[in-house]
Amino acid sequence: MYRMLSIDLSSGKIEERDISDIFKKFIGGSGVLTYLAAQELTKELDPFSERAPIYFALGPLNGYFPSMSKTVALFKSPLTGDLGESHAGGRMSLAMLSANVHVLRIVGKASQPVYLSIDGDRVAMIPCSSLWGRSALATERILREKEDHRKGKKSIVRIGPAGERLSPIACVTVDSSRHFGRLGLGAVMGSKNLKAIVISGSECPKIENKKAYQELYDRIFKELIESENTYKYRDLGTAANVVPLSKIMGLPTRNFSQGFFESAHTISGEYFADHLLAQQISCAHCPIGCIHMGVFRELFADPHMYKTLKTSYDHELIYSLGSNLSIAKAEELLKIIHFVERQGWDAISIGVVLAWATEAFQRGLITLEETAGLALNFGDAETYLKVLENIAIERNEFYKDLEKGVAYCAKKYGGEEFAICFNKNEAPGYMTGPDAFVGYAVGVRHSHLDCAGYSFDQKYLGRAEDVEKEVKAMYEEAVWRMITNSLVMCLFARGVYTPKTVLECLNVVGYNLDEQSLDRVAHTIHGMKYIIKEKLGFDFAKLNLPKKLLTVYTSRGKMNEDSFKKRVEFYSKLVEEDKELALRAV
Amino acid sequence: MAKKLTVKDRERCIGCYCCMFACTRVWYGALGIEKSAMRVKNYPGVEGAFSVRVCQACKQPECAAACPTGALRLAKRGFGVELVRELCTHCRKCVRACAANALQWDEQLQIPIACRHCGICVRYCPTNVLTMQEVV
Ligand code: SF4
Ligand code: SF4
Ligand code: SF4
Repeated sequence: MYRMLSIDLSSGKIEERDISDIFKKFIGGSGVLTYLAAQELTKELDPFSERAPIYFALGPLNGYFPSMSKTVALFKSPLTGDLGESHAGGRMSLAMLSANVHVLRIVGKASQPVYLSIDGDRVAMIPCSSLWGRSALATERILREKEDHRKGKKSIVRIGPAGERLSPIACVTVDSSRHFGRLGLGAVMGSKNLKAIVISGSECPKIENKKAYQELYDRIFKELIESENTYKYRDLGTAANVVPLSKIMGLPTRNFSQGFFESAHTISGEYFADHLLAQQISCAHCPIGCIHMGVFRELFADPHMYKTLKTSYDHELIYSLGSNLSIAKAEELLKIIHFVERQGWDAISIGVVLAWATEAFQRGLITLEETAGLALNFGDAETYLKVLENIAIERNEFYKDLEKGVAYCAKKYGGEEFAICFNKNEAPGYMTGPDAFVGYAVGVRHSHLDCAGYSFDQKYLGRAEDVEKEVKAMYEEAVWRMITNSLVMCLFARGVYTPKTVLECLNVVGYNLDEQSLDRVAHTIHGMKYIIKEKLGFDFAKLNLPKKLLTVYTSRGKMNEDSFKKRVEFYSKLVEEDKELALRAV
Repeated sequence: MAKKLTVKDRERCIGCYCCMFACTRVWYGALGIEKSAMRVKNYPGVEGAFSVRVCQACKQPECAAACPTGALRLAKRGFGVELVRELCTHCRKCVRACAANALQWDEQLQIPIACRHCGICVRYCPTNVLTMQEVV
């Protein structure tokens, strides 16, 4: 039985619901949540109102198979006003499974700061005014210690001060440095006075079909352990991309002015591994171990007083707070990441904002008056740390504005042409060419994870463009990811979980699907998402490239506006059929 | 001679819990980690440091000595313990007696979880933290 636990923070009311039929129809995770939230997410709904829901969900293979290790969140994004979806690892999916909660729905607003405690059947809202204002890292430390008596693995899901301040680029941090990063879930939690969720339980669901299951498990486990495709994520991690991307001019540098970063090698995965990597860690039930923890020892008083920062890094952070700000020293970069981690901003978004602010300052759109005397220069880590500090203390109106996202800032201060965002969402770390950019524009989450445009660009390097073929390939990838997102698998395992293997897994846990029916579900979910998105104001016809990106060189040369428009139009046509399918299905 | 489960290199642990999933899966036909006879635990506030706790395979187990009913007793292989479930009165004296804090407790069934020293968890550890060692 798949169970939804629904909690109203205003009234304290707790409800349970059997949603097995919805899991049957829409697999789980993202598909189930899209269906559940479809009616609730309206254009009029204020993302910070009591009625705005936060949903978390597992997929049907979480707990069963390795690297099915993520949890998905769905909400109305305060950053874009559009559909918000974000995925995080850590121990949350294990903890939800142990608490026998497959979907967690939270509405309402607590009258004072609380954390939500779910320990098996015991659900409580625990006042925690004394935790308000605490960093995301301190909050985890405190709650892990406070709740240490509990049996079972706890997952601690919390916001930092950025979420409390309702910054629409605030993230939600899960356990050791995993995040529901994008689209502002942190602010939605903040608006509900919800500082954290501590979840645990001691359920161990029984396995049916034990022999077939174990055989399949072993095959997948072996592939995950042995495959080069997954090993690279443990070895250097996604940071392995930094130098190769720079070589092909695909690493955004100094606010997307160019794709080549002259200091890529000093903030590369190799540099980090050789000098700063402390160890790799993993999400629960994932043998890959992709989380790279960097340590940085800093002298803080003479002659030998040191402090040590430990913080995780990966490609997106190295781009957004590194190359895009022209930070050439990995040690300085770790310090910036650490600050961002404590405040609880989405690292991509805050990096893009800082890059925009620097360019806006250099062009005179903002002055020393706004920055309270700080001159912004690319490469100046010390000043960037001061800027972040000023945002954190809400020094003045300008600093308060910075954490409202780059689209907001550019609208108010100017410089929209170099505010690098798509549908108001700050762009991820690839400027490989049209497929990457089109992917950010059309994707359901406006993220590189929607359809992996960056990888199609790399396949087409040096080749003539083939608009229809490229767009079709991206679209097909996006549709398949409706399934991976509904299983809530780790995308790093996607090479092992081919459609064939996924079908085997689903059928071993009691689904009855074939290739065709799985494909139909994928298209239906895809269609449902665009129906919601369009209801919330998304419009293919209004999609544009930030002007600056028309003038810069990508890995595939200069962008061309017509080609961009053509691609978007073609993509929107492909989506039409999915929408029809979705309308028929629901 | 028989082999026992031991921790070879704790510092290599990535905290993936595949070991505990394996023990729970294979011996209890269940999902999760709660039935596992060994535990990997992370500490509050210490990023990435894991304590890996396995049955110490005592030849004179203090947990068995503490058991008032003889339910938990020295295993026939001569080290570690086995449980005669019908005799267990769920008093928890055994887990409290294990100074290494290595004997685990099944919250659902309210019984101790005796490690079989079968080596299954070892096979699923991706970084070779665990090993099977000759008992001497
Ligand atoms: S809980 Fe059971 S096995 Fe443990 S000491 Fe008590 S009776 Fe013996
Ligand atoms: S040796 Fe066997 S019984 Fe003991 S912890 Fe490992 S898998 Fe479980
Ligand atoms: S399987 Fe190995 S690395 Fe993973 S938690 Fe267990 S001991 Fe640690």
